[in-house]
Amino acid sequence: MRQSEKTDWFFVVSLSLLLSLGLLNVFSASGSQKSLFTHQLVFVLAGVGVFIGASVFPLRFLEESTPFLYGFTTILLILTIFFGGGPAGRWLQIGPLNVQASEIAKLCVIVLTARWLPALRRESVSGGVSLYLFTVGILTVLTFLQPDLGTAVAMVMIIFGMIYWAGFGFGWIFLFLSPLFAAISSIKFVLWMTFTATLCGVLYRSGAKPRRWVFFLVMTSIVAAATPTAWGILRPYQQARLTTFLNPEADPHGAGWNVIQSKVAIGSGGVTGQGYLNGSQNELAFLPARHTDFVFSVWAEEWGFIGSVFLLFLYMVLAWRILNGARRSLNPFNSMVGAGTAIFIIIHVVVNVGMTLGMMPVTGLPLPLVTYGGSHLVTEMMLLGFSYNAIRNWRSY
Amino acid sequence: MRLSSSLNEKPYRSVMIATIAAFLILVGKLVELQIVRSDYYTELSSRNHIRSVVRPAPRGIIRDRNGVVLADNLPAFTVSVISVEFDSTNAGLLGDLLQADREELRERLDAAEATPYRSTQIVSDLTVEEAGRVADNLYRLGGVSVEVLPRRRYSHGFSFCHLIGYVGLADSTRVFEGELTGRTGLERILNRRLAGSHGVIREVVDTHGRVVERYLGGDVEPEPGENIVITLDSRLQLVADSLIMSTGHPGAAVVLNYETGEILVLSSVPGYDTNQFIGGISSENWNKILNEPGKPLLNRAWATAYPPGSTYKIVSAAWLLESGIVDENTMPDPCYGTFHFAGSDFRCWGIHGRLNIVGALTQSCDTYFYRTSMLGDMDEMAEFSRGYGMGAPVTDILPGEVSGALPTRELLNHLFGQGGWGLGNLMIASIGQGEVLASPLQIAVTAALIASGGELPALSILKKEPPSGVTWETNTSEETFRIVREGMRLAVSSSRGTLHGSMSYLPVQVFGKSGTAENGPNEDHAWVNGYIEEPLPVAFAVIIENGGHGGAVAGPVAASIIEKILEISYETE
Repeated sequence: MRQSEKTDWFFVVSLSLLLSLGLLNVFSASGSQKSLFTHQLVFVLAGVGVFIGASVFPLRFLEESTPFLYGFTTILLILTIFFGGGPAGRWLQIGPLNVQASEIAKLCVIVLTARWLPALRRESVSGGVSLYLFTVGILTVLTFLQPDLGTAVAMVMIIFGMIYWAGFGFGWIFLFLSPLFAAISSIKFVLWMTFTATLCGVLYRSGAKPRRWVFFLVMTSIVAAATPTAWGILRPYQQARLTTFLNPEADPHGAGWNVIQSKVAIGSGGVTGQGYLNGSQNELAFLPARHTDFVFSVWAEEWGFIGSVFLLFLYMVLAWRILNGARRSLNPFNSMVGAGTAIFIIIHVVVNVGMTLGMMPVTGLPLPLVTYGGSHLVTEMMLLGFSYNAIRNWRSY
Repeated sequence: MRLSSSLNEKPYRSVMIATIAAFLILVGKLVELQIVRSDYYTELSSRNHIRSVVRPAPRGIIRDRNGVVLADNLPAFTVSVISVEFDSTNAGLLGDLLQADREELRERLDAAEATPYRSTQIVSDLTVEEAGRVADNLYRLGGVSVEVLPRRRYSHGFSFCHLIGYVGLADSTRVFEGELTGRTGLERILNRRLAGSHGVIREVVDTHGRVVERYLGGDVEPEPGENIVITLDSRLQLVADSLIMSTGHPGAAVVLNYETGEILVLSSVPGYDTNQFIGGISSENWNKILNEPGKPLLNRAWATAYPPGSTYKIVSAAWLLESGIVDENTMPDPCYGTFHFAGSDFRCWGIHGRLNIVGALTQSCDTYFYRTSMLGDMDEMAEFSRGYGMGAPVTDILPGEVSGALPTRELLNHLFGQGGWGLGNLMIASIGQGEVLASPLQIAVTAALIASGGELPALSILKKEPPSGVTWETNTSEETFRIVREGMRLAVSSSRGTLHGSMSYLPVQVFGKSGTAENGPNEDHAWVNGYIEEPLPVAFAVIIENGGHGGAVAGPVAASIIEKILEISYETE
């Protein structure tokens, strides 16, 4: 039954290059704190181990263990909310490890969606859509409460992409995302009216049964009504974080300045870059969060336009290989896991690089495989491992 | 097989297209930043820097022995500009905000360009409102900063102008703009201790020269300057000042505790307000001080040497006794008012008849000293006087302290040539005239050494610090001290005493010696020195320049100071 294909060299080479260049870059960005590099080296080695494990892990078993993964992730998220430490309170200390639960939540959302959506697509399970929305909604809300707004938004975008990948039309995507739209529309009555009218239109066009009408109308009304109260519960800094996310210009001194510095760093890189370990913005410690959020700026300053495009090219190749594998995959779960992973990578790259270029709001989303940090790296390597597994076993059903 | 995979064909194509589009947009932005506008950003990058901003340390507070603040600090707002970061088209806006004269502001901005990378003060001593207006507009005034700098304040600027002195802006060696340094007095002598060490914070300055955030790490906290407590009593000092002022003459007064060596009063009148020197004195005010007839810059208490006149007789009397020229019962020929010797007339201020040494001190008979001192040796007298603090500074801390002068063979040979002088010089010196010069502080020390029996500790100005510095060897016996003290006691208590009229009314026994020092063609200087034993062991010296007769002019001033001492010591009991 298992007919593994031969090694996908495009995948392996681009992944290896990304990991190596990422390490190289963290070494430069860590400045005098060279211990960051050693940590990252350990993370990468651990990630490679996880990748190898995940690439041979039976995907069917993964599919069946979805509820356990879900339970485990939910507990981690809740524990972090109460016992989280670290600079943003997003880390949960387990033994010597600082685990960022929201990273694992992203993996969980992908697996969960891969498990449920194809099934819902194939046959109408009674209450299936609502159950899916509920379970995924819990993960998203818990992630938001970490507090990790960026990751929560990324999750929604990944879900969005996966719904589309599963073959649902835009009407469905609208329905799936209706709680989010409802929450946003509660800002203004006119918006809410527009939203509800659109919802009715979509429901009518999909020929929904009365039960579905009732579910969506009641659910979105409750969400819209509860949002202002929920907003009030949020602490001012959390509100500020939300508004900054939605409107980064509102906070020019905080995040805005980082972006200016990042643009200066990238721009001063020129075509060929200032040379490895020679980025003046980086070496002078001008770049904020230079080994984490703004790691791309360090890369772009030192390696210039050629290096920047090369890095993006590597991501592109990686995403292409995964999507191609997902396209061919006969097993819907495998296909969805691959698609979710590719979308995960693409969204993170676009949001993170877009942020350093001043085109995207400032969020804490890491640059996959390159940003310093263990949690996201291991999560990514695990997803990539599953994806590689799916690519090589595209024939299995 | 392909059939089922076609299920994913459409989303695959859409996702790939969307991804490629998104990546192309990123690449497009990279083209803009790294190729099209690369020069611009490279330029900005080179201007990005971390700026060190000095946090001045609060200068140490100076208090008197009772905790009265004599010098402390007030916050003062200043506006500074870093030229390279300042857009000169903003000069108009800055001028409006400061409501400053355009021309003047322009000049100062031009001057600031001399140190383009350094923060240069443009305006100082702003009110909170003025500083606030600028601070509110800092976001559009790159390179401009509003700072709070400590400003020195002197509570009794006039009274302590010579001792404490004043601070001014440091010269070219300054570490930072607005750095203060002690210019005169204790402010200068103790500058290192008072100044503390300034702190540094590092600010990250963006490409527009605006402070964006603190650069964490490398901050140095300012170390406040050391607070200094001086031994002086400002109550006494103020009283002494006003008493001297009331005579209408310049003058000085010194009071010191001869058991502890602590100096209580160092008054020099007139003074000047040290507060006007902070931040630079205007030439108008400076000329006013220079041209004032009383010469307020002249420090009369320890930096001016006067002929001590008869106040020196307590030293020369001790020398006569110790050198064996006289004893308590020696009575030379009577005083007829003038003593003819070697073809010259040596005049006494009165006709005293036949006196022993106690009587000579009581009535301050010059003839007694002429007749006796001529039997002695000039160099011996000078050497003996040195043991009483004359001819050399008496502290190691007071700035600009004079040595005074004592006649020796060497000095007189130098001044008049071999044979150009004679015994007359010694005779004149024995009554504190001629080549004898001393500061009021030294004259107070001679009285203190008599009072303490030669046990005077090193003088101190700074409270709670182990006395160090100059000490003296009087080489005087107890018997001699007793005789000189008796003469000083009778100078006040005897109805014939020169200080009887001005000091005998006091409820405590005063031991004193008046002096009326001839001063060339000008009016005599009025002197008095002496000591009391109760309620406080203090010695004193007062000089009223050109005041006339010592007992009549300086005596009452000293008496009133003693009154104040009595009042204070009863208060503190």
